Amino acid sequence: MADTPMVVIRNLSKVYRQGDLDVVALNRISLQIDSGEFLALMGPSGSGKSTLLHIIAGVDRPTGGECRVQGIEVTRLNESALADWRNQNVGFVFQSFNLIPVLTAYENVELPLLLTGLNRRRRRQQVNRALELVGLADRSRHLPRQLSGGQEQRVAIARALVTDPALIVADEPTGNLDSRSAHEALGILQSLSRQSGKTVILVTHDPKAAAFGTRTIHLEKGELT
Amino acid sequence: MTLPLTYHVRNVFVRWRATLATVAGVALVVAVYVLVQSLAVGLEKSSRNTGDPRNVMIVRKGSTAESSSQVTREQLRLFKYWPQIARDEQDRPLASADVLVMLTRPRRGSEAEAHVLIRGVGAAGRALRPQVALVAGRWFVPGQREVVVSRRLAARIAAFDIGNTFKAAGRELAVVGWLEGQGSAFDSEVWMDGDEARRIFDREFYSSVLVRMRDERSAAAFLRRLEADKRLPLRGLRETDYYGAQTMTAVPIRILGGFLATAMSIGAVFAAMNTMYASVGARTREIGTLRVLGYRRRTILVSFLVEGGLLALLGGVLGCLLALPLHGYSTGTISLETFTETVFEFRLAPWLLAKGLAFSLLVGVAGSLLPALRAARLPVIAALQSV
Amino acid sequence: MSTGTFVLKNALRNKRRAGLCILSVAVSLFLFVTLLVALREITIPPEDVGAASRIIVRNKISLGTLLPARQRAVLERLPGVAAVTPFTWYGGKFRDEDATLFGQFAVDPLKLPVLLPEARVPPEQWAAFFKDRRACLVGKIVADQYHFQLGDRLPFTGTIWPCDLELRVAGIYEGTLDDRNVFFHHDYLNEAVGELNQVGTWWVKARSLDQMAEVVAEINHAFANTAAEVRAETERAFQMSMISMWGNIRILVRSICSVVVFTLVLVSASTMNMAVRERFRELAVLKALGFRRRQLFAFILAESFGLALAGALVGVGGAWFFYSHVSIARLTQGIFITFEVTPRILGQAWLIAVGLGIGASIAPAVAVARMSVVEGLKTLD
Repeated sequence: MADTPMVVIRNLSKVYRQGDLDVVALNRISLQIDSGEFLALMGPSGSGKSTLLHIIAGVDRPTGGECRVQGIEVTRLNESALADWRNQNVGFVFQSFNLIPVLTAYENVELPLLLTGLNRRRRRQQVNRALELVGLADRSRHLPRQLSGGQEQRVAIARALVTDPALIVADEPTGNLDSRSAHEALGILQSLSRQSGKTVILVTHDPKAAAFGTRTIHLEKGELT
Repeated sequence: MTLPLTYHVRNVFVRWRATLATVAGVALVVAVYVLVQSLAVGLEKSSRNTGDPRNVMIVRKGSTAESSSQVTREQLRLFKYWPQIARDEQDRPLASADVLVMLTRPRRGSEAEAHVLIRGVGAAGRALRPQVALVAGRWFVPGQREVVVSRRLAARIAAFDIGNTFKAAGRELAVVGWLEGQGSAFDSEVWMDGDEARRIFDREFYSSVLVRMRDERSAAAFLRRLEADKRLPLRGLRETDYYGAQTMTAVPIRILGGFLATAMSIGAVFAAMNTMYASVGARTREIGTLRVLGYRRRTILVSFLVEGGLLALLGGVLGCLLALPLHGYSTGTISLETFTETVFEFRLAPWLLAKGLAFSLLVGVAGSLLPALRAARLPVIAALQSV
Repeated sequence: MSTGTFVLKNALRNKRRAGLCILSVAVSLFLFVTLLVALREITIPPEDVGAASRIIVRNKISLGTLLPARQRAVLERLPGVAAVTPFTWYGGKFRDEDATLFGQFAVDPLKLPVLLPEARVPPEQWAAFFKDRRACLVGKIVADQYHFQLGDRLPFTGTIWPCDLELRVAGIYEGTLDDRNVFFHHDYLNEAVGELNQVGTWWVKARSLDQMAEVVAEINHAFANTAAEVRAETERAFQMSMISMWGNIRILVRSICSVVVFTLVLVSASTMNMAVRERFRELAVLKALGFRRRQLFAFILAESFGLALAGALVGVGGAWFFYSHVSIARLTQGIFITFEVTPRILGQAWLIAVGLGIGASIAPAVAVARMSVVEGLKTLD
């Protein structure tokens, strides 16, 4: 859709030290993701797909190479700057939802907004819009344990998009869901990419889930195939 | 940039089973601290309650307590008619020459003993101390072997009920009334006629003399004149100042309170630390999530400190509530000034409760500092992988 | 790998938790021992070697009323009496101190060696003390504290007595239970006050220990119905009477002690409980592998016991070591003197530790017994 690519990755490497052994998670990967793309990242477990996602989302650091998101070299930001950057630019959806158990659905979604300077009224508007978008406006006062797995994941998606980030990353978001709930969740991510122009990166090992994306790439032993 | 308070409050309560012991521990620590200090406060308050600013007490130079002082009859005669001393309707000086005697008595219902302070009061003694009131029976008749005892002392000492008699210096003394001193030092005394007391206990001298001053200016003049008079090796001081300085008995209690608070708070800090470490351990993923959402390390640090503080504060409130029923409960021990039984109350002053709460907060923050640092230092990625 | 090493490895897996646990048990038990020793010292005062044959005679009215000096002749004539000395508390302030923490007593110097046989003084110092009316004998603790030398002059201001004194150090004694007193000539006090002819108390030594009760009765009888009736009792009985003067404070200290111990046991028990609960997942695995319930109980109990006893070793051992190597008398300025950690107290503390070991394992044991394997594997905290 837009001219500038969302993510540009060059020669990205990640090597873990495990005891005396070096484990190569990513091996000099180069990749470009355009704005508005819904990219499915597939591969068996241990292929490095989650590592790649974490680096793009700014929660992990590579051992070599470059990773620019919207033209910003993420790998060079310091801890605090990275935290702010994540808050403003990335929405994160996890396999196990990671909602805060003591907070209601509404409060969970509101959490990222507390870091912005928005006043209470503006925050309420945005939270309600996000919850409506995932179809859970009527569940806003429920605690996570009072929700079904599918509902929990939709709250998590609402939390990811409430700050209106350009990039949404999802790490096996359907791994803990039944097929109907999975379908719903993926549908929401798809519409975000199609209608709101968000860039969505989906890590999955399920081909059915990958089929929702506009492009699928495969990773194996740290390399693109 | 902090997390909402509800987040912390709910986190404290959601893990209530794990935190219960810690809260209870802090509660007991605070309760003990507050109670011991309230004793010291009660003791000091009973001293401060005593004394009238218009009164001046005269004791021998060098003596630290009224009970160990001597004033001779000749000395009394020398200053009794000084013009600065107020007069009553019959134009007699408002002065009370008292004699104080320590008497060993068995305690009520036990073989233990106590020293009781007997005050033989002069003619104006009662008029000079209006806070002392008769609450039962009648006043003693001068010249009779009769005593009026403090009601609160009567609760602690054998044979102090109205109608009882007890032996002192070979004579029988009859209890004819109970007095109350509005929480003053007089609540620890037995009163009788001064001359009769001197006869029974074979005292040539008075112990002290209490005089009422005409006004503020004459008080200053009187004290100056007494100090300057070479014939009188006496010291005058305002009654309020005399009692205000009688706080020695509270010192060991304060020390005990301090020692217990220090030692117990170490235990309580360990408990809080342990609870908070467990909390950090169980919420590793939650911390990671918050970090991913853009929360900084500092926020996480503060968050756990707040939580530990809240936890301990809860214990502090509980501890104060536990201690509260003892407010006003009266107890007694030997005074380190007069060496006689002194009756006083637990006094849980509001500032003392506030101190107890501050103390609990300190325990909580100290205990959660290390766990909070650990939480803040968790790498985001490790936090996310811990399932 | 034996079961023992398995338990040990398990207990030390989370070193921080184990350390916290042991430390909190140790602190609790240290405090427990301290309070027990303190309570013992204020409840049962330490006994002096010479105390057994001493009788203290005071005015029946109270200690605050003096006795006539003429009673001495009567006392000395009683058949069971070996020696008599006046013993009068001077209670002065030393130099310009606000509160003087050692006592000064006026006595008959010649009788002091008989009545205080446990005091060790070089013969030439005794002689110097006897000779000079203004001489005094100073306890070693006080002498060390103030760096007194023989011949120093010590000024005192009377607070109870209307006279000031200046005493000259003639000797330094040691060997009594509490070497913190100053003894001086009663004649000097008498002279300073101006024909006092009264004493605070009498100290009487009985001819033999078997006669103590008899002599006490004799003395009480001798002054019955006189102007100054007396109360004679053994030094032990006198001490107990003084202690009962403390009134409710003792009960208070005792109940505070119980609360303190209860709190600390509670806190330690919860810490240990958590340490053991952390093992849930492993215990579930063990259960899945076919371990019996009884064996799991044994694991829990072994770990709980190990932590409690390690804590006791540090806490009780530490208290014993600390109090037997540090001078408590100096540390508390003489409020506590011997501060002896008795075997009985040590035993009580170890008993608490054993109880803690058992107590803390009950809840996890019950939980483990009820736990299904699947549930246990899911437990996170």
